Amino acid sequence: MEIIVLIKQVPDIEKVRFDAEKGRIDRSSAPAETNPFDLNALEAAIQLKEKLGGSITVLSMGPKQAESSLRDALARGADKAILLTDGRFAGADTLATAYTLATAIKKLGRFDLIICGEKTVDGDTGQVGPEVAEFLGIPHVAYVSEIREVHQDKLLLISDMGDKYLVEVKLPALITVTKDLNTPRLPSLRDVLKARKKEIEVWNADALSDYGDLDGFGVKGSKTMVVKVVIPSEKGRKGIIFRGEDAAEKLLEVLRENRLVN
Amino acid sequence: MRQILLVANKYRVPVFPRGGGTGLAAACMPTMSGIILSLERMNKISIDKDNLMAEAEAGATLGDLIKAADEAGLFFPLHPGDEGAHIGGLIACNAGGVRAIKTGVMRNYVKGIEVVLPTGEILILGGKLVKNNAGYDLMQLIIGSEGTLGVVTKAWIRLQPRPQASATIIIPFEDRRKALEFVPKIFQIGVFPLAIEYVEKELVDQTAKILGMSWPCKEGKYHLMLILAESSEEALLLECEKLMDLCEKVGVLEPIIAERREEQANILKIRSEIYSALKNELIDILDTTVPPAKMADLIESVNKLAKKYETYIPAFGHAGDGNLHLHLMRKEGWSKDDYDRLRDEIYEKTIQLGGTITGEHGIGYVRRECFKKFVDRKALELMKEIKKAFDPNNILNPDKIFI
Repeated sequence: MEIIVLIKQVPDIEKVRFDAEKGRIDRSSAPAETNPFDLNALEAAIQLKEKLGGSITVLSMGPKQAESSLRDALARGADKAILLTDGRFAGADTLATAYTLATAIKKLGRFDLIICGEKTVDGDTGQVGPEVAEFLGIPHVAYVSEIREVHQDKLLLISDMGDKYLVEVKLPALITVTKDLNTPRLPSLRDVLKARKKEIEVWNADALSDYGDLDGFGVKGSKTMVVKVVIPSEKGRKGIIFRGEDAAEKLLEVLRENRLVN
Repeated sequence: MRQILLVANKYRVPVFPRGGGTGLAAACMPTMSGIILSLERMNKISIDKDNLMAEAEAGATLGDLIKAADEAGLFFPLHPGDEGAHIGGLIACNAGGVRAIKTGVMRNYVKGIEVVLPTGEILILGGKLVKNNAGYDLMQLIIGSEGTLGVVTKAWIRLQPRPQASATIIIPFEDRRKALEFVPKIFQIGVFPLAIEYVEKELVDQTAKILGMSWPCKEGKYHLMLILAESSEEALLLECEKLMDLCEKVGVLEPIIAERREEQANILKIRSEIYSALKNELIDILDTTVPPAKMADLIESVNKLAKKYETYIPAFGHAGDGNLHLHLMRKEGWSKDDYDRLRDEIYEKTIQLGGTITGEHGIGYVRRECFKKFVDRKALELMKEIKKAFDPNNILNPDKIFI
């Protein structure tokens, strides 16, 4: 089975700080790492490869430093890594991102399955995967929490959209997966060291010009724009001690004010 | 603090200083009527970036110190366990923990203290100094004295630059002796991880299951868990290469590596919670410590004892420091005497190997009898004289260390 896994490098979301004034993520405040859901996607690919053979290609669009995420994927079991990097890809919304990735996949040629994480933790839209499938004209299933059966030409999946759906999908197809699907394995030290020396193919916009329209990439290809980002301020917890005979009444008053009781 | 101790000393009222209450030898336990001295409101911390020092009041917690250092772009490497521990307690008990290999235990980080003596005097010992050679080192005497010589109220603690790259490596072995004998070899090739922990797969699997997690290394029965922290990705990679070469030379099972923060944290979480898996059936935790290269001998003796007594003695510990946590588990039909006999045999073996009955937990209240049994007579006599010199009326944390 020929599998393509789409991955994205994101800031460590637990550590990252937001610049409230500029309405931007301060990327220098946290180290970059592979989007956690993408590791579940890669693990799913590795398990399928173990069962059926074939190969895994990881594809990422991002700045040069995203190479470290691709190396991590190579260490974990991917066979080939491609980085799409070019100033002309920058500033892309989900549509332009999906178009760029789909164009690169066309250049890659034959595949049976594309696997993505359900969303990225920095953007949180969950749109890129399904949009890629639409550009490629293949079926897609989102929020896959279980791969029940694997056949040469189809998959039987559980899609968890709050309620669980049993879905059969014909290959080639694209699926996006949840964290419930598996526990990503750790790479061996040996493979991590080997992966540091492996080559990562780098494609720029010109490399894709035979397969797509350059105007569909980056800011130019984006149909949406961010007008404003509002960062909710963190509310700390507050302890209040009520003392005296009317403590219970005062407490009740506060609970009522906050609409916690009627 | 001074007033309290002056009054207590005058009226001979026992005073029991208390930090976070996270110690493991009951050193803060009151044993008679008296004053329990809580320092929790003295919790200020300031960081001096230029001198790489934290000035911390005794009631600040380990968690506070880690956070304050981190916010200043610095790092407090030691991690004795519960982050609710107070600075005063960490110093009084000379805390150790998992990250002691590279730069030592609490006493290696403390450069100065402010201490109130049981007779009411306030002493400043040391300061933001890297070198200090004036007379006897009273500060080091107070560090690890388990609250019996003075009440530490403030300390100057050395910090380090924050490592820029870290990784957790698990090296699996089929053979226990081989696993422990691997540890000195790591140092010999010039690799000094932040921590080297020895764990047994059966135990970590059991712990992981309780936590709803899974221990990532599937091979081998005996695992070494290494935490590497270096100043750059390149430096980390170099250490990894040296380790891989060593692994190949010695012939171990396939080592795995976690580099993501979350994956590393999961491994450490399971390691830290082994205690939870055991606690329901636990009678006593020993923290016997031998020269690191004698770990294999110690554990072999412990295995023999487990067979002799027909019991199970789960073991894990800080392999890089020769510090092994042995767990005496409940056994049907056993009385206190049976457990004590087994414990004493383990202690005897430890001493024969050039070790000590406690590497980090201290004597406190619970190890007093053992301490009396295994300590050198003259040393004990001197210690008692020292106690008398500091605390002539024995008001400060009585019933601790000595029996």
